[in-house]
Amino acid sequence: MGEVIVVTSGKGGVGKTTTTANLGTGLAQLGYKVALVDADIGLRNLDVVLGLENRIVYDITDVTGGHCRLRQALIKDKRYEGLFLLPAAQTKDKTAVSPDQMKVLCGDLSQEFDYVIIDCPAGIEQGFRNAIAGADKAIVVTTPEVSAVRDADRIIGLLEAAELREPKLIINRVRQKMVAAGDMMNIDDIIDILAIDLLGVVPEDEMVIITTNRGEAVIQDDRSRSGMAFRNIVRRITGEQVPLLNLEEGGLFSKIRRFIGLK
Amino acid sequence: MDDRRRNTGRQMLDEIEGDENTILIRRTLRSGQKFYYNGNVVVMGDVNPGAEVVATGNVIVMGQMRGMVHAGAEGDESATVMAFRLQPTQLRIANHITRPPDGEVADSSAPEIARIKNGVVTIENYPART
Ligand SMILES: Nc1ncnc2c1ncn2[C@@H]1O[C@H](COP(=O)(O)OP(=O)(O)OP(=O)(O)O)[C@@H](O)[C@H]1O
Ligand SMILES: [Mg+2]
Repeated sequence: MGEVIVVTSGKGGVGKTTTTANLGTGLAQLGYKVALVDADIGLRNLDVVLGLENRIVYDITDVTGGHCRLRQALIKDKRYEGLFLLPAAQTKDKTAVSPDQMKVLCGDLSQEFDYVIIDCPAGIEQGFRNAIAGADKAIVVTTPEVSAVRDADRIIGLLEAAELREPKLIINRVRQKMVAAGDMMNIDDIIDILAIDLLGVVPEDEMVIITTNRGEAVIQDDRSRSGMAFRNIVRRITGEQVPLLNLEEGGLFSKIRRFIGLK
Repeated sequence: MDDRRRNTGRQMLDEIEGDENTILIRRTLRSGQKFYYNGNVVVMGDVNPGAEVVATGNVIVMGQMRGMVHAGAEGDESATVMAFRLQPTQLRIANHITRPPDGEVADSSAPEIARIKNGVVTIENYPART
């Protein structure tokens, strides 16, 4: 039985899809069988980020609606053997799938894959409810902005209420210079409010945008700092203890007490 | 001797309120979570920004109070708010509404108590430093 992990945030545009694509790619690089599920129905874009848009025949609503078999809808990645995508529907809305259908779907996928990673839509409505319904674990993505952290806090409360205990945190788009100058929330401030375990910190990096536009994941780029951050997160997900990237001399992470894997 | 004991007893009865309900919340209240209680509320955790605690009696937070708090919500002017770190976005007692001054980061480094004194909400260290 594989693990079903939902990547969520509350606030839009903080990096859920980017994270999902990179974690999936990274886990597949390590040889795991991974299914990525785009639960952002009506605004699908995980397929575009992975460069697989032109291969879509069936989507998630065809599977839950019984119009095709799960195997037919899964799209195999161009580069990695073990990586598959279940695309979202573009022309339907979030009510096209129910939480119960998602539970069944995730159960089926976890029979065949080591990791099932679900890209959650922004918001706290039906789309969010669907995305978390079949998950055993949750990753909350935030950026170092007050509004994103506030939404992350709201989401953590909702995850706890849905019995998805101990979600893990990824802080994305951190700009070291701004943090050092006191112009951006630092990691300690964020952890102080959210009080959940930190899975990793990803720096702001233009390579994310460059690789995404090519339909690639930045984790494939050996030299980029964000790629390195995602590789460390992947290793933590597989249960390894990896210290936090020291992104900045001078002890930005001085006070951090907690970082652990997802296991 | 007898008299003194009786006095102590009477004084204690004034200080121990046994007729009110008190509830214990053993977790952090997160953004979007609102807690209302007819009585006193004790939070063993934080009250995060965007969370609300409303009580007809007193509110005690054994952690950081960073959300909205309303004590004496049905008009009890003797109600108090006490927190390990009192940095609320807004604090209300009975029908007094207060907030930290604009541009000032609500900083708090010791336990504090908010209560109405001479008609205004006053915040002091708790216990009072001598
Ligand atoms: N670490 C980063 N550095 C620079 N750009 C980034 C980083 N992470 C994400 N981005 C960019 O931010 C934008 C939003 O990212 P993404 O689509 O992953 O967010 P999302 O949370 O999935 O958004 P939505 O809520 O709309 O689904 C994209 O253009 C992406 O390339
Ligand atoms: Mg997205």
